[in-house]
Amino acid sequence: MNKNTSRKRAAAAPAPPQQPPTKQALSQEDEFLDEDVFLDETLISEDEESAILRDIEQRQALATRLSKWTRPPLSQDYISQSRSILFQQLEIDYVIGESHKELLPNSSGPAAIIRIFGVTKEGHSVCCKVHGFEPYFYISCPPGMGPDDISHFHQILEARMREANRNSNVGKFVRRIEMVQRRSIMYYQQINSHPFLKIVVALPTMVASCRGILDRGIQLDGLGMKNFMTYESNVLFALRFMIDCNIVGGNWIEIPAGKYKKTTKSLSYCQLEFDCLYSDLISHAPEGEYSKMAPFRILSFDIECAGRKGHFPEPTHDPVIQIANLVTLQGEGQPLIRNVMTLKSCSPIVGVDVMSFDTEREVLLAWRDFIREVDPDIIIGYNICKFDLPYLIERAAALKIAEFPILGRIRNSRVRVKDTTFSSRQYGTRESKEVTVEGRVQFDLLQVMQRDYKLSSYSLNSVSAHFLSEQKEDVHHSIISDLQNGNAETRRRLAVYCLKDAYLPQRLLDKLMFVYNYVEMARVTGVPISFLLSRGQSIKVLSQLLRKAKQKNLVIPNAKQAGSEQGTFEGATVLEAKAGFYEKPIATLDFASLYPSIMMAYNLCYCTLVTPENARKLNIPPESVNRTPSGETFVKPNLQKGILPEILEELLAARKRAKADLKEAKDPLEKAVLDGRQLALKISANSVYGFTGATIGQLPCLEISSSVTSYGRQMIEHTKKLVEDKFTTLNGYQHTAEVIYGDTDSVMVQFGVSAVEEAMSLGREAAEYISGTFTKPIKLEFEKIYYPYLLISKKRYAGLFWTKPDNFDKMDTKGIETVRRDNCLLVKNLVNDCLHKILIDRDIPGAVQYVKNAISDLLMNRMDLSLLVITKGLTKTGDDYEVKTAHVELAERMRKRDAATAPNVGDRVPYVIIKAAKGAKAYEKSEDPIYVLENNIPIDPQYYLENQISKPILRIFEPILKNASKELLHGSHTRSISISTPSNSGIMRFAQKQYTCIGCKALLSKGDRTLCAHCKGREAELYCKTVAQVSDLEILFGRLWTQCQECQGSLHQDVLCTSRDCPIFYRRKKAQKDMAEARLQLDRWNF
Amino acid sequence: MGMEREQCSYESLDESFEIGKEMYRGQQYSQIYFARLHLMRTLLYSLVSHWKPNSPVCTVLGLEEDKECVIVGTLYKNMKLKPCILDEYSKERSVVPLVKPHNFVHQDDYLVLEDESGRVKLGGNLIVPSVFVTGIVVAIHGKETGAGDFLVLDVLEAGLPPQIEFPIKSREDRYVVLVSGLSVGSSRSNPLQFQLLVDHITGHLGDEKEQSIASQIVHVVIAGNSVDIPRGLLNGQNLASKDLSRMAEPIKELDILLNQIAAGLPLDIMPGPSDPANFSLPQQALHRCLFPGSSVYNTFRSCTNPHCFELDNIRFLGTSGQNVDDLEKYSEAKDKLDFMERTLRWRHLAPTAPNTLGCYPYTDRDPFFIESCPHVYFVGNQDKYDTRVIKGSEGQSVRLVCVPKFSETGVAVMLNLRDLECHALSFGTQFSP
Repeated sequence: MNKNTSRKRAAAAPAPPQQPPTKQALSQEDEFLDEDVFLDETLISEDEESAILRDIEQRQALATRLSKWTRPPLSQDYISQSRSILFQQLEIDYVIGESHKELLPNSSGPAAIIRIFGVTKEGHSVCCKVHGFEPYFYISCPPGMGPDDISHFHQILEARMREANRNSNVGKFVRRIEMVQRRSIMYYQQINSHPFLKIVVALPTMVASCRGILDRGIQLDGLGMKNFMTYESNVLFALRFMIDCNIVGGNWIEIPAGKYKKTTKSLSYCQLEFDCLYSDLISHAPEGEYSKMAPFRILSFDIECAGRKGHFPEPTHDPVIQIANLVTLQGEGQPLIRNVMTLKSCSPIVGVDVMSFDTEREVLLAWRDFIREVDPDIIIGYNICKFDLPYLIERAAALKIAEFPILGRIRNSRVRVKDTTFSSRQYGTRESKEVTVEGRVQFDLLQVMQRDYKLSSYSLNSVSAHFLSEQKEDVHHSIISDLQNGNAETRRRLAVYCLKDAYLPQRLLDKLMFVYNYVEMARVTGVPISFLLSRGQSIKVLSQLLRKAKQKNLVIPNAKQAGSEQGTFEGATVLEAKAGFYEKPIATLDFASLYPSIMMAYNLCYCTLVTPENARKLNIPPESVNRTPSGETFVKPNLQKGILPEILEELLAARKRAKADLKEAKDPLEKAVLDGRQLALKISANSVYGFTGATIGQLPCLEISSSVTSYGRQMIEHTKKLVEDKFTTLNGYQHTAEVIYGDTDSVMVQFGVSAVEEAMSLGREAAEYISGTFTKPIKLEFEKIYYPYLLISKKRYAGLFWTKPDNFDKMDTKGIETVRRDNCLLVKNLVNDCLHKILIDRDIPGAVQYVKNAISDLLMNRMDLSLLVITKGLTKTGDDYEVKTAHVELAERMRKRDAATAPNVGDRVPYVIIKAAKGAKAYEKSEDPIYVLENNIPIDPQYYLENQISKPILRIFEPILKNASKELLHGSHTRSISISTPSNSGIMRFAQKQYTCIGCKALLSKGDRTLCAHCKGREAELYCKTVAQVSDLEILFGRLWTQCQECQGSLHQDVLCTSRDCPIFYRRKKAQKDMAEARLQLDRWNF
Repeated sequence: MGMEREQCSYESLDESFEIGKEMYRGQQYSQIYFARLHLMRTLLYSLVSHWKPNSPVCTVLGLEEDKECVIVGTLYKNMKLKPCILDEYSKERSVVPLVKPHNFVHQDDYLVLEDESGRVKLGGNLIVPSVFVTGIVVAIHGKETGAGDFLVLDVLEAGLPPQIEFPIKSREDRYVVLVSGLSVGSSRSNPLQFQLLVDHITGHLGDEKEQSIASQIVHVVIAGNSVDIPRGLLNGQNLASKDLSRMAEPIKELDILLNQIAAGLPLDIMPGPSDPANFSLPQQALHRCLFPGSSVYNTFRSCTNPHCFELDNIRFLGTSGQNVDDLEKYSEAKDKLDFMERTLRWRHLAPTAPNTLGCYPYTDRDPFFIESCPHVYFVGNQDKYDTRVIKGSEGQSVRLVCVPKFSETGVAVMLNLRDLECHALSFGTQFSP
């Protein structure tokens, strides 16, 4: 939120020019303004005049270049204000400004002005300034307080406020106090409403200060010192506004013609800027025509900095050398604009507008101008919030370019960088930087990825490999400076790379439907889109709760303190897993949306909870209450319908509708919207339970959450019992069913039949039968069969997933080492391949042989090194770590070898475990894979066997194989071992190199170079063997290097990529080295 | 009785295919493309002035929207189905390799033209992606469209290279035998069939008439895949010495048979993909130590693949088939001869190398560039025998020959040096009723 005082702004900005009527004039006008600022701040000596002349020419050229990208011009009816303005809003915030004299003739002084930014369907940018909405909150009215007492109370409060805000020049702090009839959401109450006081204050910040005063207590005549519980005093002002005006995030808003006034002095760069009253807004529910998306402009950008060797780029030292931009209209497949701004010349790139500048200052200012002309609604990129944006701003500050950070939509308002910490139970604590760009939504794909997906690495490379199945070329930052210092061609190379990095976030955004999913999430939960990324889950539930409560005349206490008691409760139940390999179909019975259904079935809510005290006091008939298994009491819906159940019902009904519409929908864009919506609805329904259990949340209520889980446990047990009682041979079934495992919301049953189809029909029968015994809407569903099914332990299983009787859908695994970060790729591949062999091929001996071969390859040093690389992020330097760890130690060692290429804080450190002296500590055995390759350092197969492979492999095989450990890890295949001789070890320096016979390794006498006398007759066969090795390597060499050319997208330039995340990086290096060696071996035959 | 075997002069032109001092020193494949582009560009530029005298010549970077011009560059074909080594690491990887399709052409494939300055996507209907492959250098006339594509209006290939004059002095029949795919050691090969071939060539078969034809055979070329080594034995595990010797058995057998030919007439043997040779093109000559018996004759020549030589000033150029087989995977044509013809018109023996066909990473030259047009151009190890003569615009005439796999067809090819007429020489060991 921005809180600029109007006075400050007036001082900072000379009167901004009027919006000129034509586009051409606009760019010229702005040009002059810029020159003014430019000249004011920098002194230019006379001998640089020619440079300036050139500069002006360039700037003019730039301006015309930029102007072709401006938004479409306004049509006549917009200019004449004869039509209503309809737009999709994306961002809502507020500023403090002078009260609007025309719209609000009766008020004066500073007031909060809501600003809504959005886009019309023609693509015009809108800044709508809403007046007249005032901040407020509630307190419960002390008994016996009459209207006279209220005005007295008002005076006291006003006085206290004045005292607390002495240096404020506001005329009246507490605008007014009204008595209203409301009820607290907490606890079941028999009386429908109580008097409450609605306290309206002048400015949003005063809510908190007023709350503080009331919390601490004030002296009231006749009542003595009294402190008040406040209600809804922690609602953000913009959200309050949205709730009261029925606006949800990303919906369409209309202001009828005549109800808005065009701003005389426009403060923003938006095409349509106007003032209106909040009561004149029409908010359209996102349905039908209004569920569509406006053509937002999405800017995806990436910057490159020239770092110094051995340091991560720092804005105080290292220049920004390139900025690549891509602008796409929402809903279009191809970008509208592709350009790159470079420091120093850069050769042209087809299809890309290359803009080169001589100074960094020009680059930065060109980017600022570009942002202003293009006027993006959403800014995306990868790690832009923590890196690119703060870097640009801090760099401009370091260069003293005061006019740079005007990137928002508000004229002359500077963008600032704030350090923030974001803390959430679900996402943990993250330090980040917050850069507020007024009126533009920032959407950092890195943050989204970290939020929405569990991945082993979040580098752009591995994310794009994961979602787009493409490897990204990675240029090491030490090379970037070299490319920059080269010529126009090398800088072009860098620009191409930079453009790719700008394009990938856009492609991820498209591929993963983020715009649709996030806008729908904002619409469903009613919060602005920017909240979805910057805040946790609870605000979303709170927003829905507040909206619902408002309809019901309920108010929500500010219960921060109330919930601070550290209660814990028993979690979900897990039935004991009967580990084993099941070769008969296992039916899975799932509770559909279990927790939401429980809350609905048993009417669990804040307002239905009966406190023990109330239970005694109020005379509630026992048939009107439910006692939950955890011992709480909630009234049934006939006495009081819960709000949470109602919210859930609406969410689930809406989801059902969305799914039905999705089936009908034909237009792909409409489908995307609906799919995003049903997903958002599902997530929202599931997060309600979490909201009640969040002990540091907005409104925790452990009575609800512990009741939910206790019902859940009961239901799982109940299901198990019913299945095992009913499906028995005694009851006429062919086999007796057995529940082999049950988790939070599902139960796995072995019915004993061997056909998938039969198991399916029994599963359906069981689901229907058991569902009948539950309170609606709790429903047990039969969804899938696992066949075969490998159950390892709790939360660890794998199986083939069947939903139709004739063919399985996929292989499903849970809790098995496939994504853990600290595993090497070998483990993942081995586990996957074994499961594939066991489950799909049904070839257990084959799987065993496969493991043995892999172990033998490992011991014989034949393993592809890239499979052995372990990667860990370097978060702090060595001194800051208390315990010595492998990757930190390695980073230190690498720094000593070559500071330029050593990993820095923030980088990921790849390493392998090498054979070291006996007794060496684990952390001393890490080594850089490249170094290992180059110096033939032996890896430690034993480490990989014991610390990496053995556990996950045994876990899979133990249910299947007797003596799995002996068979797999200690068989005859583990007997032969081959270890490479390091080329740099101490002893080798003294060793004399002598040829050995290729056939039998006997030392050769002088003169002989190939074979010993004994092997002479076997030349043909030995040659065949040598040449076959060369041939295999050649195949590999060709495939690897041409693949890298492919990724790089150029045949005529050398591959530069050093992406250590790429699986073939080490293989490529190794192939290169092995090839040279193999050729030398082959050359020995040229006798 | 005595019949004198005819003779003719022989000159080997394999030098450019021999890897001598070249070493793997960390060089990449960009340099061979660079060398190819430079060679071809000089050539194409000289043709452009006649082809499009009014169009300026540009580089990819120099393109301007809507300005007609000519650009010369290397084609790159973006292929949806092209196999990729990264698939080994993909999420849905499986141990069981999927059935590899025979051909990777897809209708969504598109062409890109690249020079050292950049690349541009080619548009329009004039250039058909299924005909072209990555690695060809062509000149293209067209213009850049607003979308950043290059709309192709015309394409110029280098065309057949200049040819040395065909010697007209020939008066009598002299034959060259071309054979490939002997696959000694394979389950499909029939030792008797090969023996018949040897006996026929050496004149130990048939009546006097046949012997007199045999005496007119002046040269034998074996175009690859002479042996079939049980590669299954070489799976990286340590090899028992008995398996090792089993591996060499087919070679010993081959040596005995070649011995008989080499005793009678000159013989060129080229390595192929299944022979004990390196994999990348150019494949280096099979090592003499593999042929302790035959290699003592000076008539026995172990050659490179590709192989280039002249017999009585008639120029031969041939490969063991990899170049054409790879084109067949990544492009389409009506028959194998079409692929052969294309390589000549593109003036490049193996355009898909190094992209999909393994090749040595040359740094300063491209040995597969065809400087001089051969009179006879053959490829070995094809499914069936086929031949055709093509003519160039400057009077060049080339005999194209697909040499079939002998082990599967029992067919060798006889080529008459007098008029370059060809016929199949078929050996059957079964009596047909």
